[in-house]
Amino acid sequence: VRAGPAVAALWIAGALAAARAAPLHLGPPAPARAQRIVSLAPSLSELVLALGAGERLVGVTRFDDDPRTAKLPRVGGYNDPEPETVLELRPDLVLAQPAPSNRGPVEALARLGVPIDVLPLSRVRDVEEALVAVAHRLGDEARGRALADGIERHRVEVRARVAALPKVRALLVFGLEPLVVAGPTSFAGELLDDAGGAALIDDRARPFVRLSAEAAVAARPELILLCGVQARPGREALPGLPGVPVRELRSSALLHPGPRLAEALDDLVAALHPDGAR
Amino acid sequence: VSAGAPRSAAARAALSLVVLAPVLAFACAVGLAAGGTRLPLAAALRGEEPAATVLFHLRLPRVLLAGVVGAALSVSGATLQALLRNPLADPFVFGLSGGAALGTAVASVLGGAALGEVATLFGLLPGQLAACLGALVAAAGVFALGRAHGQLVPERALLVGVVFNSFASAAVIGLQAVLAPERTQAILLWLSGTLGYEPPSVLLAAGLTVLVSSAGLTALAGRFNLLALGDDAAASLGVDVARTRAVAFALASVAVGAAVALTGLVGFAGLVVPHAVRLISGPDHRVVLPASALGGAAFLVLADAASRLLFRGLGTEPPVGAITALVGAPVFVLLLRSRR
Repeated sequence: VRAGPAVAALWIAGALAAARAAPLHLGPPAPARAQRIVSLAPSLSELVLALGAGERLVGVTRFDDDPRTAKLPRVGGYNDPEPETVLELRPDLVLAQPAPSNRGPVEALARLGVPIDVLPLSRVRDVEEALVAVAHRLGDEARGRALADGIERHRVEVRARVAALPKVRALLVFGLEPLVVAGPTSFAGELLDDAGGAALIDDRARPFVRLSAEAAVAARPELILLCGVQARPGREALPGLPGVPVRELRSSALLHPGPRLAEALDDLVAALHPDGAR
Repeated sequence: VSAGAPRSAAARAALSLVVLAPVLAFACAVGLAAGGTRLPLAAALRGEEPAATVLFHLRLPRVLLAGVVGAALSVSGATLQALLRNPLADPFVFGLSGGAALGTAVASVLGGAALGEVATLFGLLPGQLAACLGALVAAAGVFALGRAHGQLVPERALLVGVVFNSFASAAVIGLQAVLAPERTQAILLWLSGTLGYEPPSVLLAAGLTVLVSSAGLTALAGRFNLLALGDDAAASLGVDVARTRAVAFALASVAVGAAVALTGLVGFAGLVVPHAVRLISGPDHRVVLPASALGGAAFLVLADAASRLLFRGLGTEPPVGAITALVGAPVFVLLLRSRR
């Protein structure tokens, strides 16, 4: 769980820079049933695990913290994958999340004949599409579709459950130095909307938004939700908002745009409406 | 500097005050009025929220912090230029920036657990405390290596400082490879010089520290004037050169340490401001030092306001160190060329 913030920060670093992108395949065609998969992002490893194909993972990043990946070889980080290590593992499929900093190594791998799926995970829909796409590569598309449908069903249920409750002006904080919050076009912002949160951030150009302290105060939040980050000891989480309650998420589900989005949504509901909507 | 008739120190002091005090007042007004969000000042003064919070809890402490840090950097810059008899000296040249960066990076890698409690005592992060320690150790090291035959050789010390800073930045880049990425981001932001929001207790402590060390340096300023004639000449005029240098370096280090701890490495303020101030104050250090305090405070408050205004509308802001470098580097070149 302690690696959660690191993973979230990584992911944000990429997402801040990357515009919304479509899934992309690089290199030679992928096999019908991939057997040796290298994942270049913890969220993508989680997708493979959720699809019941953990034994087909042969390499993950140094930021992967799921115990089921503990014994797997590490192939570098999300921003700095090591092409040599990846090649040594002889993968028949590499899963990557698009980011400006990993573009060089990923394209090099594709040129060297490794099939690569580049899967954006910015929005809930991206995650659902990635579930289906990875399931397709594993030869079991139905399983991915079932998981994606499960997330969608849960969203509908939760929306109905919180519909009568007043909207909560919550700020989803993913970074404190600098201040980074989830915008409406991030998976976290979309789930916040589902959970009955008011839209405080207008910026739709980027999934995660860097905010000045003044802009945070001007947004007039009634709740600050710390997502995988902690305030400095002895300091307010955000300056100028001393009366606003600060809560932490009860699990790390929201820190990964992966198969645990339904759980992440429940975490948000619990944080936003601690007294009701059970 | 100026071709005009030589004026007395008192006249220069009066002129500096008349010019710089209004500049500082103007800078503070801009700093309070300008920001990332549109602030209806009248509403803020009536206590309406969130305008009042933005004005009194965010902008006011930030303007004060910028003023304190700007004054600290400029006064120590002017001091080091006098002590080393070199116009290129600035607060970071003694390996201070490299030492600070290395200190904070090492603390991050090691977790900073041991420093944590001490740092919290001062209201600082472990990394900040480690930076101050690193800066002081580096300064002492450069000071020691810059000596020959028991005497400080200014050029030698400057070169050692420059080389050490390059070495330290290479070491920091190496350490970043093993750091958690969210720590890397925080360190980078801090190393590039960022004004944050400090609680009143920290502001007061920093303000007093800088005030006391600046006053101490100003008291020594008469001896700095004699040091400009060379060590031997100063000694023959009754200045205890080694002792004056040691006390002045210590006071300047304390001021720089306070500034670095709060804002990281804000470059160029300590280099450019004293040069610009001398155009008004003349070369007498008894005038240069207090005038640099006023000028440095105004410079950093304005640079901070610019950083908030530049990205206005995007709800974010670049670190103030980027602004001071962008403005400071060309201004420094202009000043150098005009001095011929």
